[in-house]
Amino acid sequence: MSIQIMTTKTMTFAAMCALALLPAAPTLAQQVASVELTYSHGAFQPKEVRAPANHPVVFHVKNMDPKAMEFESTSLRVEKVVAAKSQGIVNVRPLSPGRYQFYDDFNQQARGSLIVQ
Amino acid sequence: MSYLGESAKGGIMRAAKPCKGHCALLLCILGSLLCLGRSARADDASNWLDIETKYIFGFTTGSGIGIEGEKEFTVDTIGRFGKRDGHYAATETKYEYEFTPSQFVQIEFGALGSIHSIGGVTGLDNRNSAGFSGGFAEFRYLALERTSTNPLSVTLAFEPNVRLIDETSGERVHNYEFESTVNADLELLPNRLYAGFNLLYEPEYTWTAQDETVREATYGSSAALSLRIVPNVLIGGEVWYLRHYDSPGFSAFTGDAVMLGPNIYIQVTPKMFVMAAWNVQVWGREVGNSLPLNLSEFERQRAKLKFAWEF
Repeated sequence: MSIQIMTTKTMTFAAMCALALLPAAPTLAQQVASVELTYSHGAFQPKEVRAPANHPVVFHVKNMDPKAMEFESTSLRVEKVVAAKSQGIVNVRPLSPGRYQFYDDFNQQARGSLIVQ
Repeated sequence: MSYLGESAKGGIMRAAKPCKGHCALLLCILGSLLCLGRSARADDASNWLDIETKYIFGFTTGSGIGIEGEKEFTVDTIGRFGKRDGHYAATETKYEYEFTPSQFVQIEFGALGSIHSIGGVTGLDNRNSAGFSGGFAEFRYLALERTSTNPLSVTLAFEPNVRLIDETSGERVHNYEFESTVNADLELLPNRLYAGFNLLYEPEYTWTAQDETVREATYGSSAALSLRIVPNVLIGGEVWYLRHYDSPGFSAFTGDAVMLGPNIYIQVTPKMFVMAAWNVQVWGREVGNSLPLNLSEFERQRAKLKFAWEF
């Protein structure tokens, strides 16, 4: 009897968890926007990139220079050191429309912008 | 934990008159910042990098939570100076490790060290001591983020502290403090002028060496302005209103105070900054004491100095 009650309780709890996760399902299924960036001769190319609003964004930062760079952005709240001649991946949350600045923290003259529309 | 002097007991509450000189100082600071901010509009700050707002307002904390993956070590000292009589100086230093595991959460923890130099203060034992005084942790959640179209950013913070040495008296105690704050800031001029606002609720439970239990709470709110005069330097001013209760709720009010003062933030290198702030009590009242200022729960002056290294 007690086992049956426990099973019912467990199933009820599992159903509640599943219901609680339902609203998150569309978010998980959201299409990820991919942004390709190249860092070469101390500058980002292109300097301005675009992404759709309310979708997660993934930056693929290819560092072509012979020294490390740090992709950083205060407004995007991300940073990533990318070693020389390699590629770094930076994941960003879904964003509201606007302009988001990024830069190389080891060479702050190297800057670019993400335009979210 | 606060200590009421003998003169504070058994009387009626009477408000002290606000200090006109300090109010004029506040108006001067705010006026100067607004004028500087207006003239700053002529300069082009659009090519300046965005700034982290957490530490630009002095004792008022901005909404910044750092950036994902960032780690920082900071040494943060708060000094409190001056009671009603005698000599009083106390400092508490946080040795703090701070990291941001996600784009919405920041976690901090560390150790506390304190120094007390007290002589001839009514209600407090004379003392010259220094030592390890406890530990703390802080959890910050970014509830509302700033965007190009929304200049307001809001963070909710919860900071439990455990102390083995009383902040005010330097006595051996077991003290548990649960500081909860709302940290908001507003970008008034892009990359130039910021306003900061805090709401504070800080209940405390203290067990003294004499087996007494003391329950108290401090409520407060603040407003601050900070102007970025050059890309790596901000100057500002802030005002705090603080209320103290001898209970965790809103009963047993014991007094309140207004603190006011300037601050400066300098980004020394991209990975290091220093911040300094100074507040003076410009108005206060104690329950049962007609003398000006509240010097039982608060001090005449407080100062803050913070160094941070990101790695």
